[in-house]
Amino acid sequence: MRLPQLTLNQKLGAAALALGALALASQPHRGPFVKLDARELALVVEQEVDHVTPAELAAWIVEGRADYRLIDLRTAGEFERYHIPTAENAPLSALADYPLQRNEKIVLYSEGGIHAAQAWLLLRAQGYSGAYTVLGGLDGWKDEVLFPALPADAGPKQRARFERAAAVARFFGGEARADGTPAASAASVELPKLVSPAGPAQPVATGAPRKKKKEGC
Amino acid sequence: MMTPLFKYGFFGEEFSLLVAFVLGVGFGFFLERAGFGSARKLAAQFYLYDMSVFKVMFTAIVTAMLGVTYLGWLGWLDLDLVYLVPTHLGPQVVGGLVLGVGFVVGGYCPGTSVAALATGRFDAMLYALGIFAGTFAYAQVYPAIQGFVNANPMGQVTLPEVFELPWGLVVFVVVIIAVLGFWGATLVERRFRSEP
Repeated sequence: MRLPQLTLNQKLGAAALALGALALASQPHRGPFVKLDARELALVVEQEVDHVTPAELAAWIVEGRADYRLIDLRTAGEFERYHIPTAENAPLSALADYPLQRNEKIVLYSEGGIHAAQAWLLLRAQGYSGAYTVLGGLDGWKDEVLFPALPADAGPKQRARFERAAAVARFFGGEARADGTPAASAASVELPKLVSPAGPAQPVATGAPRKKKKEGC
Repeated sequence: MMTPLFKYGFFGEEFSLLVAFVLGVGFGFFLERAGFGSARKLAAQFYLYDMSVFKVMFTAIVTAMLGVTYLGWLGWLDLDLVYLVPTHLGPQVVGGLVLGVGFVVGGYCPGTSVAALATGRFDAMLYALGIFAGTFAYAQVYPAIQGFVNANPMGQVTLPEVFELPWGLVVFVVVIIAVLGFWGATLVERRFRSEP
């Protein structure tokens, strides 16, 4: 037994070398394969914590919040014509290579809601636990934020809420309608010109969290 | 260290401050116990008769690297979630040199100066004032040097990505460099220890 003749430092050095040699075979990053907790995902959907409403999203934009990434899943052409302010364009097919961080709040939207929901499932399965969809997609955004409508039989409470919604709609270049037009037809109304609202700045497209961390000795 | 637990809401803001305090006191305690609360220890590094600082840094690198590698391999740690300071090569080389000059002149690095401050050393108090003055001066000149500070951004990169080498190979090479470094540092110590 020659081992005890080594000094502690030599033993530690040998241990480090052995662990380093074993690490040659290591695969510390997981590959494209994912493990899915079906029950957890079903629960998240059932409890309706997998989405934000258009009104919530509008409030974030008005406040100028920068703690989320808004991803437009439609084609580049559709994105050029109109997109929700602060959105970044990442078509569904390019989403896998799009620089997103697993610890970011990622809000997805498409025209309706189906593509966004599918992208949501892909991201959740890959461990992006902060993924959400916009309820109703861009159609929901138009009906609820850009062109909110006041029902004909609205009470005073609803009217007050409508006034607020109208102000938000003007902020985003839309127009509230008090004549009780069914909300569904709003989709056919001409969309506002693509100008970013005066208030919040466009978020920086880099994926890096802005919080600086002090490290070192 | 506590980031993932905090981020996923295992505890709130107040408790995280408490955890940070306990971790910080523990860190300072062991710095002091290891002798790094004295500027002499760090000055000795630059006179080459006590290479403790060099050895401690390399030990920390190898320990953390092996730990992260094996935890990731076992699937207990998602390496994609680990925050990396974005690399700006030029500015960080300059910043490292500035820090190094302060290190040599003051005999402390920022962390050890706080530990030395806690034990009431006067030179550490002066050093702490220097930190505040330097921070203030940096904030004042920041608009002028902003372009340089943000120059050549490389993003959150790691050595395996930069050199396009397998992760495990880089780990092994760094371990070999560390072991050789330890061996070399011990030789250097023997060479210079008799002189001071």
